[in-house]
This record gives sequence, structure tokens and C-alpha cells, in this order.
Amino acid sequence: MKTGEINSLEFNRVLLYLVDNTDRTISTPVIQLCKIFKSHLFVLFVLEEHRISKLASLTRENIELTRQRFEEEGWEMLYLVEDEAVENGVRTSLHMENGQVTRLIKKYVENYKINLILVRKREETKKIFVSAAVPVMGL
Amino acid sequence: MELRISNFLKPDAVIMEMHATEKLEAIRELVDFMVGKNIARNREQLFEALAKRENLESTGIGEGIAIPHARTDAVDDLVLVFARSSAGIDFSSIDGKPSHIIFLIASPENKKSEYIIALAKLSRLLRKLPVREQLRNATNPQEVINIIKSNEE
Repeated sequence: MKTGEINSLEFNRVLLYLVDNTDRTISTPVIQLCKIFKSHLFVLFVLEEHRISKLASLTRENIELTRQRFEEEGWEMLYLVEDEAVENGVRTSLHMENGQVTRLIKKYVENYKINLILVRKREETKKIFVSAAVPVMGL
Repeated sequence: MELRISNFLKPDAVIMEMHATEKLEAIRELVDFMVGKNIARNREQLFEALAKRENLESTGIGEGIAIPHARTDAVDDLVLVFARSSAGIDFSSIDGKPSHIIFLIASPENKKSEYIIALAKLSRLLRKLPVREQLRNATNPQEVINIIKSNEE
């Protein structure tokens, strides 16, 4: 695909889905891509009960403390992406949700008219590539 | 040592009732208040940093909460200001609801880590309905600080 063809695609509403183990270097390529496409970036972190329970059992930590730490780390990731996005003039909105990821992504695609989803390629993000109704790019 | 929001919120950084009715007017009111209380030094620099962010994203996180924030050298240290509006202010929140509780966070450019942690802790705290209700019903600045403190523990 030539550069001209890439630019003719419309990705003006991009969803970045962050999972708890997403490394923080993801924001730079995402923001560069949003600058190219002049996209509004929606950044989503999901509090999934099964992941929180799994983490609590692995660390043998109180589940409430795990949930608290999990959510705070999620917000930190969201605000780190936002900080870089603002420095680069990219419109951003941050979203923290409880629930099931594929259902939430479907809701976001419909409600916010998302036309591209960005995720770190991980075992737990495979289901998004299969289920999403719009293109998904693995980073 | 773990950062605690309540350590950064002082009684003279609390506005129990705001006059502003819209977003940029509210930012202006908060900035004027901060300069008047010597919480911030440079009025225009702080306003511009906060307004720039508001223009690129909504700091209204929903459920009646807005957290306007910026990194700027108009402040010397991480600062927090709490403000309340009975009528509500349109911060273009993601859920479309007006904001009744406003927490402003500003930090110098070189304190990014502290600033991100403070934003994360505050956002988590304010997602809890009982905390929001307590803050809406607080009657004085010290009570606001005590609510934050007790919910952080």
C-alpha cells in the first residue's frame, strides 16, 4: 500500500484498548498515527473481574487492594497516554469501564463511531481481532 | 513514600460554591482564586495550560466530576484545588452530565510522575459513589479534606 492510499483511509476516530500489562511505550506510535490521520483518540481501560481475581490469587493479596491497585495503574496508563497526546495536539478522551471487553468494544465502536482499534498483541487481546466490526491494528 | 491526595489539599484551596456556569469561565475563576491565594504565580500561563487541555479533551470524567489539570511552571509544586457548583458546570463530560465537583490539579513540568499518580488516585477515588455524595454534602473545607483522607486510608 502506498502512502497516498494510507492517507485516503478515514481513521478519524481511533480506539486504543489498554490491558494491565501493556507497556507504556505504546503511546508514541499511537499518537503519531493519530496525528497522521487527525484522529480523535479514545483510550479505554477495562476493569475485568476475572483478571482482578486471577491477579489477587497470584499475588495472594486481598482482592479489594488488588482491585484498587489495578484501577490506579489503569488510570496512570490512561493519563500517561493523554499527557503525550496533549503535547502533540491530539484530541483525546479517557475511559475507565467495568465489564466484559468485547462487549464494551462493540459498544464503543457503535456509540462513538470508532473506525480503527489499536491494541498490543497479547494472548488476551486475540479475541478483539476476531470479534471487532472495524479494522484492528496490533502494535 | 506513597503519595496521598489529602496531603496536597489545603483548607484555603477549597471553594465551597463556584459562580461560573461554563467551562472556561470556571477555569478562569479557579485560576484567579489560586493566584489570589498564592497557590499559583502566573495567571495567564496557568490559564493557557488548562485551557489548552480542555480544548483537546474533556476533563469531565462523568458522574458530575471534572478534573481540569495541567503540567506548567506557573506552580512551584503539585497543587490541588477543590471546588463545588450546586448548579453544575458543563465540562463536556463523556456522559453529558454537568459537573458539580471540580478538582483542579497542577504540577510543575518536572514532576510528571507525581502528577500522573495524583490524577490516577483522585480519579479512582471519585468513581466511588459514596465519596461523591459525601463531597457534595460537605459543609466546610476541613470536612472536604477529611472525606478525602478517610477514603484514602
